[in-house]
Amino acid sequence: MNPSPSLLPARPTSGVRGLSRTLSSDASKAARISATAALVSVAALLSLSFPAHAQLSPKTSAVVTTSHVRAELIAYAPDGVAPGAPVWVGLQIAHQPEWHTYWKNAGDSGLPTELALTLPPGITAGDIAWPVPEKIAVGTLANYGYEGTVVLPVPLTVAPDFKPATSLTGSPDIDIRLKASWLVCRQECIPEQGDFSLKLPVQGSTALDKAGFDAALAAQPVSLARPGTIEVQGKTLKVRLDGLPAAVQGKTLGFFPETGDVIHTAAIPGKDWTQAWDGAAWTATIPLADQRSARPTVMPVVVTLAVSDRQPGQPIAWRAEAPVSGIWPTSAPRAEVSPALQSALAANAAAVPAAAPNSATAGSFIAALFGAFIGGLLLNLMPCVFPVLAIKVLGFARQAGDKRGHRSAGVAYTAGVMLSFLALGGAMLMFRAAGEQMGWGFQLQSPVVVAVLAGLFTMIGLNLVGVFQFGILVPHSLCAAQVKHPVANDFLSGILAVVIASPCTAPFMGASLGFAIALPAAQALMLFAALGFGLALPYLAAGFIPAVARLLPKPGAWMETLRHVMAFPMFATVAWLVWVLGQQSGIDGAGALLGLLVCLSALAWSFTLRGRTRMLVSGLLVVCSAAVVVAIGGNIVRTVEPAVAASGARWQPWSAARVAELNAEGRPVFVDFTAAWCVTCQYNKKATLNNAAVLADFEARNVALLRADWTRQDPTITAALTALGRSGVPVYVLHVAGKAPVVMTEILSAEEVRAALAAL
Amino acid sequence: MAAAVALGATFLVGTTAFAAPSVGQQAPDFIAVDTRGQQHKLSDFAGKFVVLEWTNPGCPFVRKHYGSGNMAATQKSATSKGVVWLSISSTERAASDYLKPAALDSWMKEHGAAPSAVLMDEDGAIGQAYGARTTPHISIVDPTGMLVYAGAIDSIASSRPDDVETATNYVNQALGEAFGGKPISAATTRAYGNSVRYKA
Repeated sequence: MNPSPSLLPARPTSGVRGLSRTLSSDASKAARISATAALVSVAALLSLSFPAHAQLSPKTSAVVTTSHVRAELIAYAPDGVAPGAPVWVGLQIAHQPEWHTYWKNAGDSGLPTELALTLPPGITAGDIAWPVPEKIAVGTLANYGYEGTVVLPVPLTVAPDFKPATSLTGSPDIDIRLKASWLVCRQECIPEQGDFSLKLPVQGSTALDKAGFDAALAAQPVSLARPGTIEVQGKTLKVRLDGLPAAVQGKTLGFFPETGDVIHTAAIPGKDWTQAWDGAAWTATIPLADQRSARPTVMPVVVTLAVSDRQPGQPIAWRAEAPVSGIWPTSAPRAEVSPALQSALAANAAAVPAAAPNSATAGSFIAALFGAFIGGLLLNLMPCVFPVLAIKVLGFARQAGDKRGHRSAGVAYTAGVMLSFLALGGAMLMFRAAGEQMGWGFQLQSPVVVAVLAGLFTMIGLNLVGVFQFGILVPHSLCAAQVKHPVANDFLSGILAVVIASPCTAPFMGASLGFAIALPAAQALMLFAALGFGLALPYLAAGFIPAVARLLPKPGAWMETLRHVMAFPMFATVAWLVWVLGQQSGIDGAGALLGLLVCLSALAWSFTLRGRTRMLVSGLLVVCSAAVVVAIGGNIVRTVEPAVAASGARWQPWSAARVAELNAEGRPVFVDFTAAWCVTCQYNKKATLNNAAVLADFEARNVALLRADWTRQDPTITAALTALGRSGVPVYVLHVAGKAPVVMTEILSAEEVRAALAAL
Repeated sequence: MAAAVALGATFLVGTTAFAAPSVGQQAPDFIAVDTRGQQHKLSDFAGKFVVLEWTNPGCPFVRKHYGSGNMAATQKSATSKGVVWLSISSTERAASDYLKPAALDSWMKEHGAAPSAVLMDEDGAIGQAYGARTTPHISIVDPTGMLVYAGAIDSIASSRPDDVETATNYVNQALGEAFGGKPISAATTRAYGNSVRYKA
């Protein structure tokens, strides 16, 4: 809102429909010229040619003229600028006929004039010494302000150690700058502003504008010795002021409260409000405003003599800061929401999916069971689960024709999957019951679990790619047992599938799991069983339905190739786990894990060697591995602070308080509950949350983006997830003040986010 | 159309200019004709929150909130929650900034405004009944017909569009609190702006 550096004459705003416009004033032009002059004078000093800059700097009169007012920065310093000497500056506003500007309490509408002074060090400005206003009726309303010409004086205080900047002319002056804004009104109102500057000589008298200041200072209210009293009585204020001079007693006074929005400003004396003299005390009964927003305990008030009663040289107004007693009318209680509305709102909140786990009904339980089942089914597609499934189905191709074998394999795998889900679910419920804040996927919050999984996946990958065969590693007897009991093998691979699937909270599963937490143990375990059944179903179906088995291609050399290919998703999973560990334990932890994986791989390979070499090499490798573990193994479990800033300034760290704070500011808040080990989260982050259109919508609606990182154990995040009816990540929530939070689906689409934002 | 507008606002509940309801009291019912000639009755909106917004395109404070998009955004945010938003022009016909219904309608449209209706109150009856002193002035009526908010659009009394960013939007705050089941913390605030151009 700075004036544009234009040298064109000031072009004020005019007319009712003129837009508010910053004025480019003569004053600011003058200021620029004097700035230029200062530069020139520096040059002058250097060249020692001509000493004075006064000739270059025109005398600034600091005037801004609009079609409604002529405003001028004036000063009054009869004894110069010195400590203790009276120094005043002021804005003189000469209004066009019918136009007015406002007092400190503007009344029913309008705004007080604002003055912002910039002064040299050592000089400070006081408050505006407002001259007494007039009451200006505008239709059925009233304002307090000034017509004609008014000076708004500001006293300046000169510090004892004030040293004026030396000047080449030998007569120092001080530079005073003023930024003023005022609202000038007739019936319509025009906001105007101007920049002013003035040079005030430090020595010598500045009394050119004495008359203006004299009038303004004569129009100052005189403080009364006693504060008087104000009592709230019903819808009126009973005002009593003592100590007014004898010459005033019996006269009708004007009443101006400095506190806005308390009295009925437009009340007409004699009709709506009354005043009387009780001996030397002035009393008045003044109606309160219908829409009173203030209930002050002290009210500064000003009473004034009518213009016809004013005597030159005598005070015209008096001011008191009256304490307020009595009780403000209680007709304006805080607005409460009606009970009917309250229940409707509660019903709305309950309609949010799974947000109200306590209202579990048979219908919603079956829905949750179904959700868990679908979720389990979709888990099969997770990148870490899919290879396991593919290899299992591969086994069918090898044993083509053995229908009975297929069935028992299917059942065993299913049992393995479901039992391990029940075990995990049971463990989670037990932790919960013991007061631990645990959520689904909690096991991956432990760096040790992540490291062990990375090792396991490395071994599976090496096995698939053919570095070693299990037969070589494990004793022959166990191998034989496996051949004798392929069922046990299937059972174990079921467990494996769950272990590797658990970090991935698949779609539909999140709500069901959250729901499960709040259910009685038996029902909760049924949900986990449903989840397991969903995960196992494809394999079970392949075992029981011969058509599925028949669809499988004939066994052949391709199977070996597929095995090798499937090793790579496993290695990819290892890469991902190393990254997860990096989030938890930093670069040193990830490096240590990689080192250990190398040792592990070498060990696995060494066991494929024969005879003495095998003993020697593997023995050496065991020693090396042990040394590596001792040296850097500790880094794996050493946690580091999350690199929050790295996620960019767009996303701020989440906290419940921050959400409330932003909502209070009226900003919608989008929260991304995420964890490094959650694949779905990473996918959504890259695909949807980085989508240009989504980001643009976030921007357009001023949505605050918060990220809650659950990579490591964080009870506050777990509690927030529970409150949302979830127990794992990802969860995406849009919080809008006054509305139930919108919880989105786990596989987030740009359309869904945009639709939710469009509904804001 | 002109005839319909001339009908103006008719009061069902007699109120005098000096008896505007305080927050917590029953909001006066009214019938008014909008800029398109449609008639609206406040009590027909029972069961919904109704925001009454006094407007006048000639007022720099109104222009601050429409020009910055703040008013349109506030209107959209409210109506998307099922709130009825009635913009009301209580500007008298003789006023220099009076706009005819069609002109007012197109001005609102130009500024992307999204009120449920723009009501003509040229005789000032509705404005006086609600004690609207300035443009903009906001009154909020709750689903039971009670006045729950009266005052300013936001917390910074100025005509500077820059202040919209930092001000607290009282309408969003009040509606947010009401929908969140909380009492409205700032139920009466000091309205600022130009005087409503009432018929003398």
